[in-house]
Amino acid sequence: MSLFSNWTVGRRLIAGFGLSAFTLLLIALVSYRNANLLIENDALVDLSHQVRLELADVLSVMKDAETGQRGYVISGDESYLEPYKAAVNSLPTTLADLRKLTADTPEQQRRLASIAPIIDAKLEELKNIIDLRRSQGFDAAAKLVVTNAGKTQMDQIRAIVAAADQEARDVLKQRSEEARASADMTENIILWGGLAGTLAVCAIGWLITQSLSQQIGSAVGQVRNSSTELQAAANQQASGAKEQATAMAEISTTISELLATSRQIAESAQRVAQNAEETANAARSGHGTVDQTHESISGIRRQVDQIVSHMLELGKKSQEIGAVLDIVSELAEQTNILAINATIEAAGAGDAGKRFAVVAEEIRNLADRVGGSTKEVRALIDDVRSAVNTTVMATETGSKAVDAGSRQFGDLASAFKQIASLVATTTDAAREIELSTKQQSTAVEQVNVAVANVTQASVETETSAGQTLQTVSQMASLSRDLLRIITPHMAA
Amino acid sequence: MTDARAGLAKQAAKLRAAFDAAYAAPPRRDAAAGQDLLTIRAGSEPYVIRVSDIAGLFVDRKITPVPANDASLLGIAGFRGTIVPVHSLPVLLGLPATHAPRWLVIAAATSVALAFDAFEGHLRVRSDSIVPQQSSARGCGFAPEFMHHAGIVRPVLHLVSVIASLGCHRAQTAIHERNEKHESFQ
Repeated sequence: MSLFSNWTVGRRLIAGFGLSAFTLLLIALVSYRNANLLIENDALVDLSHQVRLELADVLSVMKDAETGQRGYVISGDESYLEPYKAAVNSLPTTLADLRKLTADTPEQQRRLASIAPIIDAKLEELKNIIDLRRSQGFDAAAKLVVTNAGKTQMDQIRAIVAAADQEARDVLKQRSEEARASADMTENIILWGGLAGTLAVCAIGWLITQSLSQQIGSAVGQVRNSSTELQAAANQQASGAKEQATAMAEISTTISELLATSRQIAESAQRVAQNAEETANAARSGHGTVDQTHESISGIRRQVDQIVSHMLELGKKSQEIGAVLDIVSELAEQTNILAINATIEAAGAGDAGKRFAVVAEEIRNLADRVGGSTKEVRALIDDVRSAVNTTVMATETGSKAVDAGSRQFGDLASAFKQIASLVATTTDAAREIELSTKQQSTAVEQVNVAVANVTQASVETETSAGQTLQTVSQMASLSRDLLRIITPHMAA
Repeated sequence: MTDARAGLAKQAAKLRAAFDAAYAAPPRRDAAAGQDLLTIRAGSEPYVIRVSDIAGLFVDRKITPVPANDASLLGIAGFRGTIVPVHSLPVLLGLPATHAPRWLVIAAATSVALAFDAFEGHLRVRSDSIVPQQSSARGCGFAPEFMHHAGIVRPVLHLVSVIASLGCHRAQTAIHERNEKHESFQ
């Protein structure tokens, strides 16, 4: 069975019916051949019968010829010669027919060859007797008849004909047996061959039915399973198509919103372009203002330089004051020392030095005060120097700040130039954006149309999916029906 | 600046008036009631010394170093035609030696100069402002008293004791050097 498992249904049917047809054809051919043989045997039997009839005819004609000769001899009546004449006319034909009929039998041909001169001699003897009667009368003819010459010939003829008839009868018997055997064989072939062919056809039909039932049942079962799966897939496809249609509707709505947004962007871009142009004008105006401011800052820088110079000069003067104050302080210190030493000396001078001690004390007090004032002045000078230093530092910081400001204003001026350039670029860009946004709006409109088409296609797809689902359901039902037809147990 | 200038002018006028008043005033009788003190700083320690204990106050005098075994002897210096030895007051007081003290006083008791780091000023205090100290915390009893004046409390150096300690200090230095030599020989 595995050999035929890969065969197609058509091939199996062709093989089955072909084998059946071959069996029937073989039976028919054999039957045909046996029928032909039977017919041929019948023909041969007929031929044998015809041979026997001809042989009998030969013997009969010879007898008729002798009978007529004897009647004529006896009666002298010419009418008795009719059988003789008929025999003389028919014998050559009859012998020729016999030669033809026995052409396949050499022994019969030899007998016919041997009987022909005897017949000729007999007919010659009959003729001589008839001629003798006609010419010499009865007695002469009777005398010749009683010589038994004719009888001997006639006996030879009878013997040869009998032998030939015997052989023909043998052949007839043989051929009849052959015909009977052939008929029996044909009958057997028709009977048993028909039976065998019927069995073979039944077996082939059973095999084809079995194999086709199994394979077609399996295939139909698979078709049913596939139909079920396809049904599920069609369900998913239908729901997917429905979701797709819903999504496409949402996309269409979104694109409509996008279109509105794009138009708003285009309007905004137009306003941006206008603003950018106004900004460019303002930037050009601002650039002039920045140049003026830069000039002002340069003037401030010069003033600050002068302030720094003056403050440095003030610091220098403060240092000189400090140097003078150092001298004053040192003088006060020396005066103090002198006063102290004077006090010591005055104390050493006793009462005479008391007044000097008073003076020395006053001098010392004065020196102390001068020293204190010097300290205060030094503190003030230090404050002044500190303030000057602070001012110088602040001024230098301011100068640096002015420098930085000047540089920054230079940068600002260049930045303003760059801003003006950028604003011009921005203006161009805004115009390009405006143009691009308009083109984008157009493109979005086209996309919207395309999305609408896709939405329509999605709806059609949904419908098609529904139809597919229906078709698949029908196909599943058909597969179940087919399975029920082919293999009822599998259909259950 | 205007306020500072006005303050300075006012102070100058005040000084001038005080100077003039000093010449205009009669001699004071109570000049001897107080004691004259000099506030000094030896090393980082504040002291006062009595003006009566010194024979003179000097500053930035050239001190010529001389070889000596005394660690306190800085050298010699000339004062009014007299050569006197100069000793470091912080060393004599047992304080860490300082570098080149500017100020000098010559002791009244003997011709010895003591160098110290800073002269801060002159004070005239009442005699009861100087009270004896209960227990001496510094040196070998060089400040047996302390001065209490205008919220300032300082020990009063007794220069005589300081000068008297010079002999003791020399002996200690000699012993110390002898011990060092002995240790080096061993």
